[in-house]
Amino acid sequence: MMNGLIQLLNNYGLSYDIIIKASFYLIAGLTVLFALFVVLSRNIFHAAVYLAMGLLGIASVYLYLDAEFLAVVQVLIYVGAIMTLFIFTVMLTSDIIDTGPISGMFSRISVSALASLAIFFILTKVITMTAWKAVLPAEAAVSLSQLGKSLMLQYALPFEVISLISLAALIGAIVIGKAEKK
Amino acid sequence: MIPQSHFLLLGAALFSIGIFGVFTRRNAIGILMSIELILNAANINLITFSKFSADPDASGQIFALFVIAIAAASAVVGLCLVISIYRTSKTILVNKINLMKW
Repeated sequence: MMNGLIQLLNNYGLSYDIIIKASFYLIAGLTVLFALFVVLSRNIFHAAVYLAMGLLGIASVYLYLDAEFLAVVQVLIYVGAIMTLFIFTVMLTSDIIDTGPISGMFSRISVSALASLAIFFILTKVITMTAWKAVLPAEAAVSLSQLGKSLMLQYALPFEVISLISLAALIGAIVIGKAEKK
Repeated sequence: MIPQSHFLLLGAALFSIGIFGVFTRRNAIGILMSIELILNAANINLITFSKFSADPDASGQIFALFVIAIAAASAVVGLCLVISIYRTSKTILVNKINLMKW
């Protein structure tokens, strides 16, 4: 099936490599676009929906990096759990529209844009100036069993610390969010 | 194949956008969303370096998993604080939350 599809695409002058590349740049561009919508949209509920889209785009970027488990975890935890929390909080609080006059808002936006563009240009310069090694073959991917063994043997202590942090966050959320008795 | 630097550039772009959001958002939930963008940019970098290192092992992906777990915990506590602040001061715009300000 897959080979037949590749053969069919080859007949049209499209190689597998070109399709992989084109789809990656499409997904990366869409992810950056959604991220821009997240920070620029005035309606905070729309921003939450755009953030969910952008997180899905990042999950598919993980697939290009041979990190299938991370992609699944990203969809389950970020898009499934954290975005639900965000949308619930948006609905429980008012101030959905983030407008209204604030003194010096325009200059604040321009200064922030300047600062973040400066950070982006410095990072771009560093990344393009560094001589990265040649691309490795595809069989250098980390397998799921390797990931699990590493998590349970080499990183067993950090794993337990993470579970303690989750417990602390759970209890903290209950304590902070509990309604005060009248 | 796609070169390593293009993944890193995607991470840099998401990081800068997140920084911009943290600076300009007035809504506390919007600031938390921008922080999630920054954490995801860090995750992309971790997994990229894990894939393109000379001796590939699972460490990069493991730390990306830890970052996701910490991000979930911080989002839970942060959103809980937002609800708690809303309950006391009836607003979540950070320029109006000035109870502690002299």
